[in-house]
Amino acid sequence: MYGHQTKKMKNPFWVLSFGKMLSAIQPPRYLSRFPLSRRAKCRSLHILSSTEPVTRTSLTDQSQILSNRDLLLSRQLSAIELTHSYLDRLKQTEPHINCFLHVSDPDKVLKQAQEIDDKIKRNEEVGPLAGVIVAIKDNICTADMPSTGGSHILEGYRPPFDATAVKRLKDLGAIVVGKTNLDEFGMGSTTEASAFKVTANPWDLSRVPGGSSGGSAASVSARQCVVSLGSDTGGSVRQPASFCGVVGLKPTYGRVSRFGLMAYASSLDVIGCFGSSVADTGILLHAIAGHDSLDATSNKREVPDFTSQFTSASSLESRPLEGLRVGIIRETVDAGVDSGVKSAIHGAAAHLEQLGCILKEVSLPSFSLGLPAYYILASSESSSNLSRYDGVRYGNQASSDELNALYKESRAKGFGSEVKMRILMGAYALSAGYYDAYYKRAQQVRTIIRKSFKAALDENDILISPAAPSAAYKIGEKKNDPLAMYAGDIMTVNVNLAGLPALVLPCGFVEGGAAGLPVGLQMIGAAFDEEKLVRVGHIFERTLQGYNFVPPLISNGAFA
Amino acid sequence: MGYLKQFSIQQPFSIAMGSSRALLMLSNFKFKPSFPFASSSFLKPFSPIINNNLRTRSFSMKTRSSLQPPDLPRLAETARISLSPNEVEEFAPKIRQVIDWFGQLQAVDLDNVEPALRADTEGDNLREDVPETFDNKEALIASVPSYEKPYIKVPKVLNKE
Repeated sequence: MYGHQTKKMKNPFWVLSFGKMLSAIQPPRYLSRFPLSRRAKCRSLHILSSTEPVTRTSLTDQSQILSNRDLLLSRQLSAIELTHSYLDRLKQTEPHINCFLHVSDPDKVLKQAQEIDDKIKRNEEVGPLAGVIVAIKDNICTADMPSTGGSHILEGYRPPFDATAVKRLKDLGAIVVGKTNLDEFGMGSTTEASAFKVTANPWDLSRVPGGSSGGSAASVSARQCVVSLGSDTGGSVRQPASFCGVVGLKPTYGRVSRFGLMAYASSLDVIGCFGSSVADTGILLHAIAGHDSLDATSNKREVPDFTSQFTSASSLESRPLEGLRVGIIRETVDAGVDSGVKSAIHGAAAHLEQLGCILKEVSLPSFSLGLPAYYILASSESSSNLSRYDGVRYGNQASSDELNALYKESRAKGFGSEVKMRILMGAYALSAGYYDAYYKRAQQVRTIIRKSFKAALDENDILISPAAPSAAYKIGEKKNDPLAMYAGDIMTVNVNLAGLPALVLPCGFVEGGAAGLPVGLQMIGAAFDEEKLVRVGHIFERTLQGYNFVPPLISNGAFA
Repeated sequence: MGYLKQFSIQQPFSIAMGSSRALLMLSNFKFKPSFPFASSSFLKPFSPIINNNLRTRSFSMKTRSSLQPPDLPRLAETARISLSPNEVEEFAPKIRQVIDWFGQLQAVDLDNVEPALRADTEGDNLREDVPETFDNKEALIASVPSYEKPYIKVPKVLNKE
């Protein structure tokens, strides 16, 4: 379907419009914002200098959500047409990428789109997310479709309720297109630990998409959906966002209700957002954030309207971030980090300086302690949380004539190796007499890390680092080496320990695959200051030039 | 499996360590003298990670001496998971490797540091303790694997012993 289009590379509308049906009509405007670049490798960082005029763009060009809404309300495109375009692309790409554990019945999806079209026809109000195609990580409960958490123990399970985040999206008009693949219950960094399938990275199908929210990140990267929800316990939104070249937003602990999220490590878990732009993740966060009486850890603070931060590029001053204090965390651009990743981050730092930021190096000496502390807390809490999967009230049950054997067999058959190992490690760390040596010490390390972040964020507006020590690696590369896998989480776990918000957005490429592999920049903010992250991220993204973060498989139609 | 050849229980730590460049980060842990928690014991845990010498290091912490290495069958019993002999063989070296890596926190000076249960959550967000009716009761019951109205059916609970 896309094959014929590659011949017409000069016309971006032709090349990027997404299907036979749509190519006949007005091309969707938002796709035109992706600059076409045939020289995929070795892109040089083009920094917008302060003397150059900023390209004029309207607000809708910066957000798929807003541009789709614009198209719908101005009746240039129907919700049915828009939905078809996503379903078509999903159908084409899914056999190669395997993002989904469950895809919604297309007829049901189109029926929801039809209802939106009918409302628009009758001049009725539609929700702010009307027709937004959203994918949900499969550890987040959805009432009318399976929710397995990537585990055999919940194979076929259909929850009797929607997670609060999902309910809020549906109430605002979003359409759930399916449930995305993940490492079983979120335990992993590659999505290889799913009980059902391995998801591929859209930038190079032989590589992992990251994890644990690998399916959610890859589905946004492959434009199978507009936005998606993931969860982030130790980096599970940010690292896959980095690997797949999309934007990932981990909110402050307590910002989003976790009711309906399958608990992994309750002192760390948050639901997070994926999108192809900072604006979209901000809009998505705004939709799901806020207090929920069903989750006592959800915060009562008012949720600011992040869209007010999305100034159009044309209205930007020459140095729109003048005076913003940015701390680059020294320990994250040190030895052990891929040199390509380091230079991408240094390039991003230079870009921030061009925008007016004051850059400083910050040292967090306790940084490396966060990794073992995180794994102690996460495995301990998971051993407790996962005791609910007993095969009695829901999920798969092994047959047995004795209750203890029923538990043990149901869990033996239902859980995968990584989950079993983490439960066993957690059981060890929580054993009588060992609590002080492991769990308590890890909690004390959390105090140190919180304090050091607090001090660094008192002196800086935001902190920056890579989101992972490398770009996406090969499927199978680290599968049998738990410590190598865990070490990849060094950039992200400390942020969960401190409960802070962080935004990851693509900032460059390293060599690898056919067209290079994307690298994400992590911006860390003070608690409940997502607003600043979204503002800075948005300006960064709008002024970063010379990059195209649509995988070539999608942008040049390799799936024709 | 290649893994098991390399990672025999006798030599669990000869592995992996060098294969991960990211782990090298841990060796480059630097302390500013001004850092309030910096002390000589603070630095200890990081050299063993690279030296592959985890079992031979000595801990100054008194807690360490009483800590036994993981006993998989006992842990599996506690966690209510049956393990096959193959799983015990596969998991044991990996779990020991990770637990030993956890052990580096024993050497960190954490005296007078308050443990943090989680990140700050403000205020009292508990809802009123009043019952509410859940509407979708049918679906709740439908997901019970073994149900005989009005009971959830399980095998006998009491053991002979």
